[in-house]
Amino acid sequence: MSSFAYFFTESIKGFARNFSTALGSIITIFLSLLIIGVFLIGGFVVDNVVKSVESKVSITVYVADDASQSDIQSLEGYIKGLDGVSNVSFTTKDQALENFKNSMTSNPEIVNQLDGQNPLPASIDVELSDAQQVEGIASNIGSNSTFQKICDNPSNPSDSLKYGQKTVEKLFALTNYVRYIGAALVVLLIFIAFVFINNTIRLSILARRKEIAIMRLVGASNHFIRGPFLMEGALHAIIGAGLAIICLQLLRMFAIPKVQSALQWLPIDVTDQAFLMMYLVLALAGLIIGLLGSALAMRRYLKV
Amino acid sequence: MTNAYNQGASAHAGRPTGTRASHAKQVTAQLSTTLPDLDIDSIPQPTGTPVITFDHVTKVYPAQPGKPALNDISVQVFAGEFVFLVGHSGSGKSTFIRTIIREIKPSDGHIYIADEDLATMRNWRVPYLRRNIGCVFQDFKLLPNKTVFENVAFALEVIGKSRHVIKTQVPEVLRLVGLQDKLNKRPDQLSGGEQQRVSIARAIVNRPPLLICDEPTGNLDPQTSRGIMDLLERINRTGTTVLVATHDREMVDNMRRRVIALDKGHLTRDQDRGVYGFDV
Repeated sequence: MSSFAYFFTESIKGFARNFSTALGSIITIFLSLLIIGVFLIGGFVVDNVVKSVESKVSITVYVADDASQSDIQSLEGYIKGLDGVSNVSFTTKDQALENFKNSMTSNPEIVNQLDGQNPLPASIDVELSDAQQVEGIASNIGSNSTFQKICDNPSNPSDSLKYGQKTVEKLFALTNYVRYIGAALVVLLIFIAFVFINNTIRLSILARRKEIAIMRLVGASNHFIRGPFLMEGALHAIIGAGLAIICLQLLRMFAIPKVQSALQWLPIDVTDQAFLMMYLVLALAGLIIGLLGSALAMRRYLKV
Repeated sequence: MTNAYNQGASAHAGRPTGTRASHAKQVTAQLSTTLPDLDIDSIPQPTGTPVITFDHVTKVYPAQPGKPALNDISVQVFAGEFVFLVGHSGSGKSTFIRTIIREIKPSDGHIYIADEDLATMRNWRVPYLRRNIGCVFQDFKLLPNKTVFENVAFALEVIGKSRHVIKTQVPEVLRLVGLQDKLNKRPDQLSGGEQQRVSIARAIVNRPPLLICDEPTGNLDPQTSRGIMDLLERINRTGTTVLVATHDREMVDNMRRRVIALDKGHLTRDQDRGVYGFDV
């Protein structure tokens, strides 16, 4: 325990000795972990978005222009009777065009190019109470004979049956890309922090090489020589991680509510547990970076 | 080279065990006439235990493959001895010393320190070996930003001694080397001789049974050197084995202790109550 106290005071001295480089490595770790933390929060949010989209999954049944009103009504009635369907509504061709125009307000030329024609089909919109059942309900509708008769594209009935699963899949593909990029960035940042710690500890070792020579001479054990440097690396990392955690907590308290009120459709409600978990992960990651970085520096520059 | 070893062994046969200092004075006059004869007296064989044993040790540095720094050296140093290691620059003195503290390993042969074979010694044991060997160097190796007290205390601190031990042993050893009034001075406020005393104090503060000095007086004037040698002799009288590498001719000739001479890596002479011997 006394040697632990010795390591601590020595590492503090090493800290003071190369203040600027120590500060550099702390800031590097701090920024790396901060960015990693922001990415993690982003990950949580994306997960939430995916979940909420999944919960709002609906099936759209496109109906041919020449479908009779009775057929449409009987299909609506059939769908309404299915298990897991919460609501069914009908969108006419005109409404569909209106919706399209509304969604294209930023590109009015596209609407103009329609030349007053309306290529959009009418549709039955099916809302589901359980997103998990979307596949079953869709195939059920697909096998319905009325549907096959009045669907927009009789040669390929399933083409007239759009449901959210595909949107969710696309979203997943997108979020996966975002995750890969995020992971690559995280690895890069960790590497940078690692190199920085390594370099700082190397300088610290060089500054103390005379002391180290004497320590070896009088028979200080290897762990006693290495201890202060390991401690120094760990200290840098812990301070960096602490700063990152404080910063993330501030973000959480002040920035996230603002973003939430500005973008109300975006579900950012990340649980306390998730945050706690993240802080733990960041502190642990910092500690590992610090210890490994200094251990590697010692392997190369401190032959004992 | 077996010849050299036999020579060394026969020299051991003529070594006294105790009261050597007074005895040495007695026979000095007689010796000067019989030099460089080896069998100068017939005092019975010592019963001391070997502290350092070199068994056909060869060290070849990779940079100079054709020129071994130590060439088939076999020699023993016994407990309580005071031994001079003499030779020109490049004769292998420093290599000899560095192999003892296992800073380097011999290319061939075995070195035993108190029955422990350094060739098979595990790396983690090396610090514990060094705790039993005090080392003094020509350049003192003191930490400039620490006081005399702190420099000596450092040696105890880093081997995990308690504060209590440090508080009692450091002043004691500084009194032994005559620096009790300079505890709070820093090395740059001391003379060269005083700095070397600090470094000796640091080497013996842990009471090692073996003290090794590499050119301890190399940077000092003759007067100061004599003081250092007196100190080393006093340390030797407390039972510590002392090995001094030097090319201080006057010192070796005056003290008449065992002399091991190295020349280009060969052991050329091992002589009780010897003299420096080169260029005579």
